[in-house]
Amino acid sequence: MSAQQLDLTSQAYESAASDAMASIQEKIQACMQCGTCSGSCPNASAMDYTPRQLWRLAQLGQKDEIFNSKTFYLCSACYFCTLRCPRGLPLTETIGALKRIAAAEGIEMYKSSIQFYKSFMDTVRRYGRVREMEFMNRYFLAMKNPFLPFKFASLGLKLMGKGKVSLEMPKFFGKGRLDAMFRKVEELEAKR
Amino acid sequence: MKKKIGSALVVGAGISGIRSALDLAEVGYHVTLIDKAPNLGGTLMQLDYQFPSDHCGMCRMLPLVERDRSSQYCLRKGLFHENIDILLSTELSAMEGEPGKFLVTLRQKPTMVDPERCIGCGECSRVCPAEAPDEFNAGLTRRKAIYLPVPHNIPNTYVVDMASCTLCGECEKVCPTNAIDFGVEVRRAFRILVVDDELVVRDSLKEWLEDEGFRVDTAESGTETLDKLREEAFNLVLLDIKMPGIDGVEVLKRTKEMRPDLPVVMMTAYATVETAVEAMKIGALEYLMKPFDPDTLVPLVVELHQKIERAGERQIEVGAVVLAAGFASFDPATGTNTYGYGVLPNVVTSVEFERGVSGSGPNQGRLLRPSDGKEVRRVAWLQCVGSRDPQHNADFCSSACCMFAIKEALLAKERSGGEAETTIFYMDMRTFGKNFQRYRDQAEKEQGVRFQRCRVHSVVDAGTDGDLAIRYADVAGELHEEVFDLVVLAAGQRPSKGTETLAEIAGLDLNPWGFCHPESFSLSRTAQEGILVGGSFSGLKDISESVIQASSAALTASSLIHAKGGSLAEVPPGQPEFRDVSREPPQVFVALCTCGDALTEVVNIEALEASLTDLNSVGPVQRIERVCTQEGWNELQEKLQDTKANRVLIGACMPYVYTKKLQELGGAVGLHPALMDVVDIRTAVFPGHDADKEQAGRDIRATIAMGVGKLKGKDPLPVPTTPVIQKALVVGGGIAGMTAALAIADHGFEVGLVEQADELGGNVRLLHRTLEGDSPQELLEKTISGVEKHPQIHVYKKARVIHSEGRVGRFITTIEKAEGAGETLEHGVAVLATGAHEAKTESYSYGQSEAIVTQHEFEQKLADGTLAPAGLGVVAMIQCVDSREEPRNYCSRICCASALKNALYLKEQNPEIQVYIFYRDIMAYGFMEAYYTRARQAGVLFIQYEVSEKPQVTVENGRPRISAIDPILGREIVLRPDLLVLSTGIVAGDQKKLALVPSTGVIPGDHKKLAEIFGVEVDEDGFFQEAESKWRPVDFLKEGIFTCGMAHSPRSIKESIAMAEAAAQRALRILSSEQVAAGGIVAEVRHSLCSLCEQCIAACPYGARWHDEEQEKILVDTLMCQGCGSCAAVCPNSASVLLGYRDQQMFEVIDDALEGAF
Repeated sequence: MSAQQLDLTSQAYESAASDAMASIQEKIQACMQCGTCSGSCPNASAMDYTPRQLWRLAQLGQKDEIFNSKTFYLCSACYFCTLRCPRGLPLTETIGALKRIAAAEGIEMYKSSIQFYKSFMDTVRRYGRVREMEFMNRYFLAMKNPFLPFKFASLGLKLMGKGKVSLEMPKFFGKGRLDAMFRKVEELEAKR
Repeated sequence: MKKKIGSALVVGAGISGIRSALDLAEVGYHVTLIDKAPNLGGTLMQLDYQFPSDHCGMCRMLPLVERDRSSQYCLRKGLFHENIDILLSTELSAMEGEPGKFLVTLRQKPTMVDPERCIGCGECSRVCPAEAPDEFNAGLTRRKAIYLPVPHNIPNTYVVDMASCTLCGECEKVCPTNAIDFGVEVRRAFRILVVDDELVVRDSLKEWLEDEGFRVDTAESGTETLDKLREEAFNLVLLDIKMPGIDGVEVLKRTKEMRPDLPVVMMTAYATVETAVEAMKIGALEYLMKPFDPDTLVPLVVELHQKIERAGERQIEVGAVVLAAGFASFDPATGTNTYGYGVLPNVVTSVEFERGVSGSGPNQGRLLRPSDGKEVRRVAWLQCVGSRDPQHNADFCSSACCMFAIKEALLAKERSGGEAETTIFYMDMRTFGKNFQRYRDQAEKEQGVRFQRCRVHSVVDAGTDGDLAIRYADVAGELHEEVFDLVVLAAGQRPSKGTETLAEIAGLDLNPWGFCHPESFSLSRTAQEGILVGGSFSGLKDISESVIQASSAALTASSLIHAKGGSLAEVPPGQPEFRDVSREPPQVFVALCTCGDALTEVVNIEALEASLTDLNSVGPVQRIERVCTQEGWNELQEKLQDTKANRVLIGACMPYVYTKKLQELGGAVGLHPALMDVVDIRTAVFPGHDADKEQAGRDIRATIAMGVGKLKGKDPLPVPTTPVIQKALVVGGGIAGMTAALAIADHGFEVGLVEQADELGGNVRLLHRTLEGDSPQELLEKTISGVEKHPQIHVYKKARVIHSEGRVGRFITTIEKAEGAGETLEHGVAVLATGAHEAKTESYSYGQSEAIVTQHEFEQKLADGTLAPAGLGVVAMIQCVDSREEPRNYCSRICCASALKNALYLKEQNPEIQVYIFYRDIMAYGFMEAYYTRARQAGVLFIQYEVSEKPQVTVENGRPRISAIDPILGREIVLRPDLLVLSTGIVAGDQKKLALVPSTGVIPGDHKKLAEIFGVEVDEDGFFQEAESKWRPVDFLKEGIFTCGMAHSPRSIKESIAMAEAAAQRALRILSSEQVAAGGIVAEVRHSLCSLCEQCIAACPYGARWHDEEQEKILVDTLMCQGCGSCAAVCPNSASVLLGYRDQQMFEVIDDALEGAF
C-alpha cells in the first residue's frame, strides 16, 4: 500500500457525474466501513487492497488506484460479502461493474483476464458448454504469447492426469444453440 | 390520604409500567396495572446487575413519602400499593370510548392455580412429570409444567404452563390446599367439530384435542358437517377450506345462516391463505395454518376456547391508558447469519450470558460455559447482531447493547478474578449517556477490557472441545483469527410480541420497524389522545431513559385525567379512627396459622401454646386453620374483636404478603397497623423439611417470642405528617423549565418561573430544524405563549435566585430582579432547569478564520442567510471537539444528530456540496440510525479518527486546511474546505468555559451557585447530580427538589421535554395534597443525649438530618427519613433512635432469639 497523500479538495471540484465511477459510488455510498466484507473474503489475503479499502477508494473517487489494483479481478464471485453485508449493499455486483469498466476501457493490467473470459465465453457460445482444450488454445492464441502455454503446462498435465481435461472432440450436442442468446445480449449491450 | 376519582390503565408491568403506575398512584389516581406474563418486572427481572453500580437498586422506585401505602421490600419480589390493582397473566383485548373515559376489556389467562389458596409449598412441582425450558433462565435450565415464574416472587404462587402440561392431574391430587383446578369438567362440556377430508388430519386433531380434555367429533365432508350441525350443538368448528364437494367457505356461509353465533375457525394450507382471509370477512373467527403440529396447534385451540368462553374477562373504565408493553429480543437463529447460535452451544445471547452468571441462575454466579461447564477464560462480545442491519430490516440502533456489553465484560472480569480476557467487537461504541464514556474508559484502561473496532461476520467451531473461532479484518485491513471459549451476541431489539394487536386495539400507527412511535417533540404522546407510550415499547432504552419516559407518560395521563375532572377527591381526606392505646399496658394477641395440619403434625401445638401464653404481655393465643385464606382471615378478625389486646402478632408464612392485609385489619378493628406484625413460623416446618420436632418447636417459640418482644415496645404514636405549600418554583425558562411549569400549572397549582434572561426560550431559540424535520421555533412560540398566558404561572424575567431555605413541603426562596425590588416566594417543591450551552473552543484553529465555526453558529448563519448552501463547495465537520477526553470526558449526545441534520440539509439544498465528517463514534442511537444511513447514501463522507491521532487544522490564506489519517487506507488525507464546522459539545458549570449566549447576554449553566443555594449537588462536569443515575434520574437526594433538561446532562429537545414532564410528575406527587405523611418507621433524636458530633448527618444516605445551629440541635426531616437506621447505628451516645427499633426492644428480641437457640 502506498503512503501517498490524498488531496481530496482538488478532485472534489471535478464533476463526478459524467464519470463511470459515479455509478460505482452510488452502489457503495452507504458503506459504513464495518469490515464484514474484508473479514469474509476468501481471497483477501492475496489482494493489495482489501474489499473495504476498495470501497473507500471508490468513495474517495480514486479511480486510477482502483484500476491499478488487482483486488477486483481476484474476486471469485463467491457472494459471501454480499450475503453478509449488514447494509445489504450489492458488493459482488459492484465488482462485476468494475470488471466491465476495466474491459470496456481496455485496462492494461486486466487484459489477460479479459482474454480469459472472452475465450471461455467463445467456447460456450460454440458448443453450449465449455471445452477445456479448445478454450485454452483460444486463450493462448488471443494472448499472442508463445511462452504462455508453458506456464500452464504443469497444471494442464495434472488436470489431464485426473481426466479433467479431455482431448476428445466434444459431441456437437449443443453446437450453435446458444448463439441466438449471445446475439441478443450483444444487441442489448449495443443499445446501452 | 390521596384517593381521587380518576383512574388509569397501565399495560405492561416491567420497570416502565411500574414507574408509570406508581407515579399515578402516588398522585392519588387508581391504577390497574396488567401484564401478560405471570410475574411483575419484565425484562429487568432477569438482569441482576446494572451499570454503573453493578448491582440492582430497583427498590429505589418505591415511594419515598407516604411510603406506608405501598410495599417496602425488594421490588423483584413483588409490589403492592393502595391505589394499584395488579392483574397478571392479563391482556388488553378491547377498548372503546374517548379520552378521559375509555372502556377497556381485560382478559385474564387462567393459570389453573388459585392464588388465594396457593401457599407456594411446591409439592405440585415435585410430582409434575412434564418439563419445559425455563424462560426465567433464558432456557438455560428446565422447569416443570407447574412452576414458579420467578423463583423469589412474593406471593410465590405457582402457575401452570398449559402448553407443556399433560393434564395428568398429579398436582391436583397432592395440593394440600386444593388450589389447583384444571376445569376438566368445563372442557369436557366444550364440543369441537373437526372437519377435514383427510383422515390423518381428522384423527390427529381428535387425538390431540381429546388429550387436552375436549370432546371432539369429526366430519369428512361439507354435507356431513351440515347434517351434524343440524342435529347436535357444538361450541367450536375447525373447518378445512379445500374439500371436494361443498368447500369450506360454502360450509361456513351455510353454518352462519343456520347458527350465526357458532365460532368457526378455518384451516388452511399456505396456498389458500387468501381464501381464509376472505372467510374471515364472512364471519370466521380465526384461521390456522397447516401443516399442524401439536405444540403450536393445541395452545391455539386452548386460547380460542378461553376466548370463546370469555373466561376471565372484565371491563373497567379508565381515563387514560399507558402502553408500556416492552420489547422483544432479536433471535439470532432466525437471521440469515446466525453466528452459530442454536447450533454451537457456546454461542449465547447477552441475556443468556447474564442469566448464566446470575446468582439466581443455573451456575450460582460462576462464569461457566454451557457446553462443558469449563471456567470461561476468553470471551468475545459481538455487537449489533440484528441491529444497524438493513439486511434484517433493522436500520436502527438498539441503544442499550454497548453499555450492556461493557457491563458484562466487567462482570466476567469480576467473576473470574480478573483472569478472563474480554474482547468487545464493535462498529461504534455508543457511550452517549451521562457517565457512559468514563465507564468505558475505565473498563478499557483500568480493567483491561479490549475494544476491537470491526464487525465480525461469523463464528465457527474451532474443532477443539467447543472452542469457537472468529475471523475478522481489523481497521487497517489485516486479517486475524482468534479462538474464544464463549461468544456473546448482543441481540438487538424487536417489537414485543403482540405490539401489532395492541396498536390495532388502540388505533396507533407503527414505525417501519413495528415499534410504536410517539408524536413530534414528545417521547410519550401518541396520535391518539389519552393513549400514552412508556419505556421500550417505542424502542429499546436503558433504565434511566425508560424511567424518565414512563414518568412523562404518567404526567400526560395525569394531565388528561385532571382536565376531565378526575382530580376530585374520592373520599374525604383523613385517617381511619384508631384506638388510643398509649396508656394501656401492652397485650399481644398471638395467632398461630396451623396451615391445615402441617403445623400440628410437626410440633406439639398444645405445649407450644402453653409456653407462649407464659410469655410476658401475651394475651390470648389462638389457632387459625389457614390465615392466608379469606375464611381464616375472617376467623382471625372475629377472634381479635373479642379481646382487649392492643398488639397483634400472627405466626404464618411469607410476612411480606400481609402488609396490605394488616392495614385493612387495622382499619376494621380500630388498631393502628404499626401495632401488628407477621412472623414466619412456616419455614421451620415445611413439608419435606426433615424436622427435629423439638427443635422445630423451639424455633417457632423463639420466633414468636422475638415478635412479641418487638411489638411490646412499639410506639403507638401517630405517623408524622408535613403540611405542603401547594406551589412550585421553577428555575430556568428554557424548554425544560417551561414544560415543567406548564405541566404543574395545568394541574391547578401556582408556579413561579424564574429566568435570568429578558426572554424565555433558552437554547431552543438558536435551533431552526430538527433531524426529524420538525420546527423548534413553532414549538417555542406555542410554549412561550402557553406559559405567558397561563393564569397560574408567574414569570420573573431578568431575575435570579439568591437565597433559599426550608425543606420539602415548605421552601422560602428569595429572588433578585433587575428591575424593582426582590421578592420572596414560598413553595412546596422546586424544579431546577437552568440548562447548559454550547462550548467555546480554541482547538482546531477556531478563531483564526471566519471559515471555522461551531455547529450552533453554522445553523444560525444558515438560518439568517449569512451562509447559503449554493455558495459552498466543500464543508468539513469535526466531531467530539474537546469532548470525550479529560477533562471533559463525556459525550454531548446531541452533536452527532446536529452534524447529521446539517449535513443532510446541505445535501438537500445543494447535492453538489461535498461534506466530510471527521468522527470518533457516530452516536446515532435508536431510530436516528436511519438518518445516518441516509446521510451516507446522500454521499456524506465519514472519516473516523482516534483521539490519539486527531485531524490537524491550519489556516492557509484565511482558509482552513485539514490533514488527517484515513484509518481504512492508512493514508494521509488533505482537505481545504470552504467551511469547517466544529461540534464543540455542551458544557455546564465551569466558569472558565462559560460564555455569553449571544441573543440573551447572560450566562446559563452556572449550577454550582444554585446548587449551594438549594443544598443539592453538582457532578464533576458541573451538571446537576441526580439522586441515583438509573432509578431516580430527575430527583435530587434532597426531597422536593428536581432537575430536568440540559442542566442534568446534554439531551435533545424532546428528551428535555420528557425529562421536564417526569420532573413535574415527581413534583405533583408532593403538591397534590395539603399534607404528606412520612413512614411509620422514622428516626428521632434524644437531644439530652446528643453531643452534636454530626456523625449521623454523614451517615444518613437520604440527607434527612441537619444541624440547626440556632437551636443547637440535630433535626430530622421525617419525610426524607426512610427509616434505614444508619444514624442509630453510628450514634456513639444512643441519642439517635429509630422508632420501633429501640435498644430495649432489640435487646429483648435478641434474648428471645438466644433462648430458642440453646
